[in-house]
Amino acid sequence: MDNYKPQKELFVPVERNEGESEKISRPSLSFWQDSFIRFRKNIGAMLGVFVLIVLIVMAIFGPMFNEYGENDQDLSVAKMPPKIEGLGWIGMDGTLTTVQTADTLEDAERKALMRFSNQEEFIDMTVLSNGANGEAEVRAVYDPYAAKGLEENFWFGTDGLGRDLWTRTWLGTRISLFIAFLAAAIDLVIGVAYGGISAYYGGRVDNYMQRIIEILVGIPNLVVVILMILILDPGILSIVIALTITGWISMARIVRGQILKLKNQEFVLASRTLGAPDNRILRRHLVPNVLGLIIINTMFTIPSAIFFEAFLSFIGLGLPTPTASLGTLIDDGFSSIQIYPHILLFPAIVISLIMIAFNIVADGLRDAFDPKMRE
Amino acid sequence: MKKTNWYLLVLALVLSLFLAACSGGDDSETGSEGEGTDTTETDSEGSDEASGDSEQVLNIMDSAEIPTMDASLATDAVAFQWLGSTTDGLYRLGEGAEPEPGIATDHEVSEDALTWTFNLREDAVWSNGDPVTANDFVYAWQRAVNPDTGSEYGPYMMNGVILNAEAVSAGDMPVEELGVTAVDDYTLEVQLEKPIPYFESLTTFGTFLPLNQAFVEEQGDQYALEAETLLSNGPFVMTEWNHGEGWTLEKNQDYWDAENVQLEEINVRVVKETATGVNLYETGEVDRAGLSAEFVDQYSSSDEYRIEEEPVLFYVKMNQENEILSNVNARKAIQMVIDRQGIVDVILNNGSLPSVGHIPANFVSHPDSGEDFRELSGDLIETNVEEAQQLWSTAKEELGIEEAELGYLGGDSEVAQNMDAYIKDQLEQLEGLTVNVESVPFQVRLDRDTAMDYDLQNSGWGPDYIDPNTFLNMFVTDGANNKTGYASEEYDSLIAEANNELALEPVERFENFLEAEQLLIQDDAVIAPLYQRASAQLWKPYVQGVIVNPMGPDYTYKYAYIEGK
Amino acid sequence: MTRYILQRLGYMLITMFLIATFTFFLMKLLPGSPLAAADKLSEEQQAIVLEKYGLNDPVPVQYFNYMVNLAQGDLGISFQFDNREVTTIILDRIGPSMQLGFQAMVIGTILGMLLGLVSAIYHNGFLDYSSTFLAVVGQSIPSFVFAGILQYYVGVRLGWFPVALWEGWEYTVLPTISLAIFPIAIAARFMRTEMLEVLGSDYITTARAKGVNKFGVVFKHGLRNALIPLITVLGPLAIGLMTGTLVIENIFAVPGIGEQFVKAINTNDFPIIMGTTLLIAFLFIFIVLVIDLLYGVIDPRIRLAEGE
Repeated sequence: MDNYKPQKELFVPVERNEGESEKISRPSLSFWQDSFIRFRKNIGAMLGVFVLIVLIVMAIFGPMFNEYGENDQDLSVAKMPPKIEGLGWIGMDGTLTTVQTADTLEDAERKALMRFSNQEEFIDMTVLSNGANGEAEVRAVYDPYAAKGLEENFWFGTDGLGRDLWTRTWLGTRISLFIAFLAAAIDLVIGVAYGGISAYYGGRVDNYMQRIIEILVGIPNLVVVILMILILDPGILSIVIALTITGWISMARIVRGQILKLKNQEFVLASRTLGAPDNRILRRHLVPNVLGLIIINTMFTIPSAIFFEAFLSFIGLGLPTPTASLGTLIDDGFSSIQIYPHILLFPAIVISLIMIAFNIVADGLRDAFDPKMRE
Repeated sequence: MKKTNWYLLVLALVLSLFLAACSGGDDSETGSEGEGTDTTETDSEGSDEASGDSEQVLNIMDSAEIPTMDASLATDAVAFQWLGSTTDGLYRLGEGAEPEPGIATDHEVSEDALTWTFNLREDAVWSNGDPVTANDFVYAWQRAVNPDTGSEYGPYMMNGVILNAEAVSAGDMPVEELGVTAVDDYTLEVQLEKPIPYFESLTTFGTFLPLNQAFVEEQGDQYALEAETLLSNGPFVMTEWNHGEGWTLEKNQDYWDAENVQLEEINVRVVKETATGVNLYETGEVDRAGLSAEFVDQYSSSDEYRIEEEPVLFYVKMNQENEILSNVNARKAIQMVIDRQGIVDVILNNGSLPSVGHIPANFVSHPDSGEDFRELSGDLIETNVEEAQQLWSTAKEELGIEEAELGYLGGDSEVAQNMDAYIKDQLEQLEGLTVNVESVPFQVRLDRDTAMDYDLQNSGWGPDYIDPNTFLNMFVTDGANNKTGYASEEYDSLIAEANNELALEPVERFENFLEAEQLLIQDDAVIAPLYQRASAQLWKPYVQGVIVNPMGPDYTYKYAYIEGK
Repeated sequence: MTRYILQRLGYMLITMFLIATFTFFLMKLLPGSPLAAADKLSEEQQAIVLEKYGLNDPVPVQYFNYMVNLAQGDLGISFQFDNREVTTIILDRIGPSMQLGFQAMVIGTILGMLLGLVSAIYHNGFLDYSSTFLAVVGQSIPSFVFAGILQYYVGVRLGWFPVALWEGWEYTVLPTISLAIFPIAIAARFMRTEMLEVLGSDYITTARAKGVNKFGVVFKHGLRNALIPLITVLGPLAIGLMTGTLVIENIFAVPGIGEQFVKAINTNDFPIIMGTTLLIAFLFIFIVLVIDLLYGVIDPRIRLAEGE
């Protein structure tokens, strides 16, 4: 490095132009336009948005795609495997498979037939091992759709009462999303109001309000939610109330912290000094800066509410039967996870997709709202 | 680009997971693989040498922690099971639910059937070496009805049976006045309130087990809280009790009948999830596992699959204080509209039977002919949706209503969710009826039952002794567990007669019960029977000699042994 | 510093007192009693049994008695386990839960940190994508579904580890993994973000420019500074684990406090519900306090006591 000396003639002064230095080379963008442009460039987040839109559309219209109702029970078609015409190659061919072992081939075949109530004409038997070495193994593939003479297909199969899981999965998604959105909205309103008031008035009010929060934050929300569910009648509204009763606290703290921070920042002081009215400071500086955080926080609240609903169902505090929600469906499917995995599979996939999509979108939004990411 | 690529990857992988899960989804293998099968065929032949070789250890599961090992306080199946395995009462439940000698060798009944004198064996000892004497029974029974003990089953089992129990349990009389006395160390005299034809069967029940007074009083509050603070005089001794995890029973070498006990050890683990239990069974960690409806589909073809019938009935209780349910036609419509076969075949799928009365099948038989009560009584209800609709419209006319709304308190068994949804659906076939399901914990349901704060309720009842009275006595007017508002003089007099004048006339008494059941179910439609419970289980074929009991302890392990493991 | 700690302890007491009061009156609103066979007893007989539990007293008296006993560490007698003290029950059961929670926490944070580190070092590379993928999936699948799958495939099909029960270290493997998934996911994502930020800062660039190699920078300078904020997520992680144990313990038949709590909820065993609630609340507050103090000790930028 030492022996390299740049020569003077390599440097050429730039032509200076008074007008140009003040020229704004890029179009003037508002905060939102700018964020939106950055968000749009984030393929993952856009995909997340797309998945969410698809899920929401399915939650609204999915149940209308076939004529089965949410609670149409028919025990004769209970526990049917999923079948979609043309999707046989991924396993949704509406068949059940069993592998049976026994000492002799006949025994194994007899057991395999018995497994599917001896309806021989609908069972396709493959011998895996003929029992020469003392253990025979056969695989039987059974077509319950043919055996029951069904014309209609159950796309996601049916549950233990013969209810169509396609319909129930999408209705369940609807209920779960509804619970999550409602809980998030209530958190938002209370949290923003509390945090805003606390930060705006400051002084003694702020002091008292903060002490209250400090005590409340010590109560684990797991416990509060469980206790609230115990005393309220089970239902959508009680789950929402239980989730929001401490859920707003984090929102309130974020809003308060952010406003307190912003209130004294140079750019706010500067615009105040320059004579900007309160209205303008609020609109141009405070709101955009806080709103980003509020949106992100809400985006994280929604999936955690959905998760909590599933958790509550699993410990027996969920929605009353026969209401379908992702939680109750997963709880129901969990008991047959080893034998009829399709009952669990579809709601589990939907809940995972919702979780992933919300997290990605929230991440994307965080990046998009962060001015440091500006190019 | 930034951190976008991996999001795509995530979605791609989720999708592939989904596909993989789908295609692999229906692959299921049966229980016959793994350790169980190899031994399946080694049945009884040539077993004598085998049994000598096998380790006499039984590994099983229970669905809950033992609530108490204090015989006076026990109320549930788990407690009675392990009390029964460690303690002998006057009699024990043997094969076919017939009482067999325990601490008592035999007994005499006085002519008026009010005084029972038990002769006790002299070779029975507690695990601390003390002999088991008549005083142990006197102390135990007095303790059970003593209000200070706070026992629930004490008053429930003894009031109206043992002389003065009612007054003692209410605190109106000293415990010494209870009708049980030790004539000498090995003779116990019991005074009954009235003749009780099933008293011998009662003495096998957990609440009537003896207690070693010196030991219990020495332990005080700590009695029966740990393996070290309890005594046994039965086939097994509890040697280890890790709360929440499980417990270990070992053979009691000092047991009076030790030569007939083959098992050296019973290990019990607490496992609540059915799937976990089945998985443990598959890996050979336990010798028995209960099955849920889904697992029955998979295992019903296995050689290790067994169904155990139980005399436990489930039914829908109807609160007659509700205006709609006070109408007998409405109640009959509800009885008739439910498809019981569907319940047992699809939802339960474990060998349960549709219930068509209020006495279980294979529970009691006619004292002379030996015919089963259920067969003699026949199907008191049938499913007939059309007739149900007609009855329902009649009821609606009589009540002057078009629409009806009823609440339904759900059950608390493992299948409760599906069961409740199904019954709601079945009932709503009745035109204009809306059923609102409420699932509540068992305790809450009991509370609301006591307060009669319900319209319809999924309820169950298991016998406390082997006699029709345990089922039919429930519904006498203002009975403690009636709680339906049902009041019928005719019914009351039938039951009262059976328990008093006819107590010593088994045949007439039986006839009375037949008549009462018909009145209860067919004529007055007090409850809507659902099913008689059975349980589907997997048993390792090397476990032999376990007796299944209809009441009290679910199983008798005294004669169990391991063969050909 | 001392003043600060005392102040925090004061809040802790107030919070515990409020929680105890709140739970007590909530429980009084609920139906349910120690009677296991209420359907078999007359009301007079029921009253006699309730006397034993002091449930015939007026509610304020019951409240007063409860608080006095609570101050002495006595949580009352369980409804479902006759004569057994709630304190004893909780002490009996807390061991396995603590062990599982601790193992999951340690494994979760270490693995999560490693994943996060790998992601940050190979930013936008294949390893970054795959580890971030794992983290997101881990956060998105309900832990009980994961546990069920793990139990069947790893326990039954592959037979690598015991399916369930609690009889030795190998029995803790599957439940620990099921529980650790969530901490792994959280720690990995957090670590990745922090590390990227640290690696982008000026002093790292300086160090690199001065010739410190890539890994040296990461471990000597980066890791330390990224670790400090990681402590803040430990609190929420510990709480997440408490939620996890409620379901995981049931599935793997672990005799822990979570399984006991769920059982108590389903049987309305109020003394146990209250006892466990207070315990969880106490642990929660305690963890938050410890983390706050730790934060002050570790991060030189935050010195509470002297500054004030």
